[in-house]
Amino acid sequence: MGIISVENTDRLYWLGRYSERVYTTIRLFSDSFDEMIDSYLDSYEVFCKRLDIPNIYTSSANFIERYCFDSEDPNSIYSNLTRAYDNCITLREEIGSECVSYIQLAMYDMNRARVSEAPLIELQKVVDNILAFWGIVDDSIDSENVRNIIKVGKRIERLDLYARLHLDAEKMEREVDRLVGRIPRTCLKYRKEALSRLKELVEASEIDYYSIVKEVESILEE
Amino acid sequence: MKNMDLCRHTDTVNELLARYGVKFGIYKNNEFHEQLFPFDAVPRVIDKEEFAYLEKGLKQRVMALNCFIRDIYGEKQIVRDHVVPEEFIFASSGYLAQCEGVLPPKGIYAHIAGIDLVQGKNDEWYILEDNLRVPSGASYPMIARDLCRKSSPSTFKEYHIEDNRNYAQLLRNTMDYVNTGGHTVILTPGRYNAAYFEHSYLAEKTGAHLVTGNQLIVENDYLYFIDYSGKKERVGAVYRRISDEYLDPMNFKEESLIGIPHIYDIFRKGNVALLNAPGNGVADDKGIYYFVPKMIRYYLDEEPILQNAPTYLPFYEQDMAYVLEHFDHLVLKDVAEAGGYGVVFGDKMTKEEKENFIGLLKKEPRRFIAQEIIDFKDIDILDQGQWVPRKADLRAFVLMGEEPVVWKSGLTRFSRNPDSFIVNSSQGGGFKDTWVLSQ
Repeated sequence: MGIISVENTDRLYWLGRYSERVYTTIRLFSDSFDEMIDSYLDSYEVFCKRLDIPNIYTSSANFIERYCFDSEDPNSIYSNLTRAYDNCITLREEIGSECVSYIQLAMYDMNRARVSEAPLIELQKVVDNILAFWGIVDDSIDSENVRNIIKVGKRIERLDLYARLHLDAEKMEREVDRLVGRIPRTCLKYRKEALSRLKELVEASEIDYYSIVKEVESILEE
Repeated sequence: MKNMDLCRHTDTVNELLARYGVKFGIYKNNEFHEQLFPFDAVPRVIDKEEFAYLEKGLKQRVMALNCFIRDIYGEKQIVRDHVVPEEFIFASSGYLAQCEGVLPPKGIYAHIAGIDLVQGKNDEWYILEDNLRVPSGASYPMIARDLCRKSSPSTFKEYHIEDNRNYAQLLRNTMDYVNTGGHTVILTPGRYNAAYFEHSYLAEKTGAHLVTGNQLIVENDYLYFIDYSGKKERVGAVYRRISDEYLDPMNFKEESLIGIPHIYDIFRKGNVALLNAPGNGVADDKGIYYFVPKMIRYYLDEEPILQNAPTYLPFYEQDMAYVLEHFDHLVLKDVAEAGGYGVVFGDKMTKEEKENFIGLLKKEPRRFIAQEIIDFKDIDILDQGQWVPRKADLRAFVLMGEEPVVWKSGLTRFSRNPDSFIVNSSQGGGFKDTWVLSQ
């Protein structure tokens, strides 16, 4: 393992988390949006509640606009992408310009989507760039440690979101298995017992989503 | 050099530059903004013979400047011999008393020099400015060349052009030459610095670690990088991209939060190399610029190969009289300013502005220099499909290791405003690649 600072370790991890948060929330939001088209119910309220974000929105239309694109809303997809970008831009020498470029492109596409006449369809380009980013991370980062820290961030974020949104256990089981295999291949300090407990929780006959979120958030040592 | 194939791809190259985050930061109303640096695909072309002449002149100049800094923080013979008046040394904001008697590793002060030149309509090159502190700009033509080669390979097959992408290797050689043992790092003030893209790009390309001050620590007279596990790794060379006064709160500005306490103490002991050495500002002050040709004669016993723009120092009575008499034909520069700021043209001032300025000039003659307005040779740029002439300068880079090396390229900056001589990126200028022909 080459030398790496505490700051860069932290940034790599959060780059993984925020880019995953953008990717998964766009996908889940699209599904939710689709439901909202036919429904009279304000399903965004459930979405907010599950993600544990304050429901500051006044209507479905307001939610769609602000949750996606409001730079002042700290929970918006836009704000999360900005955080991914802010971490990424400081990691050029660790991950290389090619990797940085895909998050940069996602940012440009997000800004275009924001002013587009069909903003939701334009978000697909943001998703495409994040997928390309994951691809280039695998393809071009030589350091296993660097690569795996980003991926641990990605897995932890995905598990967290899946648990909050009560997705099915099979998906979470797969993510836990991936995390268990990945985390020892980094310099990150983690709690082995949290991983074992997570495994038990996702394999249980009745899923305790709250405990899963709690365990996920405590995997890494301070 | 209006190569049409290359020009056809200008927009694509600019899009790719945006994709790779080739930007510079700027503060407007106390807010940080990132701006793209507009690229024009028509390069400045310098033929082999002409570059050989420039190379010789630039090496000569940087060698003399290094001798000057060493002398000023040492014996001060040039002052004793009345070649440079002491008023221009000790009153300079770039002079740092803390650097007295300090000899950097291998005796090099200006490892990376950015020398700004313009070419007059008579084809003569003139030096406009020496930048010996933290000159920036090399990364832009480096990455632009990479993208241009991809966009128009036939152009690069047809012409014999020196490959400028070796800048990272030249920089690495310079850093390694003075390294006192350990890792090499690039020290950045952080993400919100105007040249952050360059810091991170050069770190990527040289293989150096990009660090901020809080990642380094001085302990037992050596500098260490603290890694994730808390392990300390020795650092032997720091290419610092933060200014002198913020480098070490124990030796310079005590309120600095971005520096490394005591780094200057261990530099003084020869335990770490700082590129460029602190205190270089004494030699790139606009007032000192006037004396560089004299330095070349004094230290090297040679005639200067490259000329300064004709410059007057209002500090001297005779020059003040000239400046007042020819005010409308001169450009006046505040020696404490940089980045194209503090530059005024006599003929552009209103009567009242002129009166106020002359009052200030008489009160603080040391603060200003006056120069003849050089009618730069225009360079064509492509503006909305039309070729239009614009003023442009050239920043050449000289790297000082075992021997001085002039990078066979440079940053050509141009003004996008047809009525302006100011080419700085912070004031809306764009850039071009600089081709040095190899045959």
